[in-house]
Amino acid sequence: METQELSERLRSHDPAVGLRAVGALHRLAEQVEAAAVARAREQGWSWEQIGDALGVSRQSVHAKYGK
Amino acid sequence: MFEQFAAEARATVASALEETTLRGDRRIGTEHLLLGVLHEPRAVRALGTDLETARAALDTLDRSALAVVGIDVHGIERAPVPASRKRTPFTSGARAVLPRALAETRRAGGRRIQPEHLLLALLDCERPDPAADLLTELGVDRAAVRERIRRTGR
Repeated sequence: METQELSERLRSHDPAVGLRAVGALHRLAEQVEAAAVARAREQGWSWEQIGDALGVSRQSVHAKYGK
Repeated sequence: MFEQFAAEARATVASALEETTLRGDRRIGTEHLLLGVLHEPRAVRALGTDLETARAALDTLDRSALAVVGIDVHGIERAPVPASRKRTPFTSGARAVLPRALAETRRAGGRRIQPEHLLLALLDCERPDPAADLLTELGVDRAAVRERIRRTGR
């Protein structure tokens, strides 16, 4: 376990890992958003309520997720 | 550039775009081009790996990078991202693949870029290129793949 922790710490100094982590965070945010918006729609939230929760306009949420 | 693409290679780029938005990325990168190429059965045979395996490998790379910064994505609810209506440009690395693919086409004596020429160009990517990382994660023997493509070539 200790060696693994050490190797992880060493890897964290590799910029490729840090930069990939940032990209992965963007992707994760998009994928979590897609899941959360779908769930909110199922539960009857309006586009306006979803937009307010995400801090964006009703139009932009609808353009992205509306069918 | 795209007028030099055969219909199959255009389909590869369309698939790469689809893979890009599904993952929630904003630019078509070399890793997406590689996934796009894997929509072709011939490329699957040449690479000895398939689309699902490659998608899972990219996910593994993401998970381990997130683990390094202390984020555990286990159990988080995620969904594929719907196709964007915004323009999705190529990354500079992906743009650089196109002239290399054309060079492969010429070398093979062809007129139009085929998916395997894109694949040959992608095999030349080197770290820290994302397609290079993906090929390494997949354990692809690049020399063997090149050999298989050039032997069956068109």
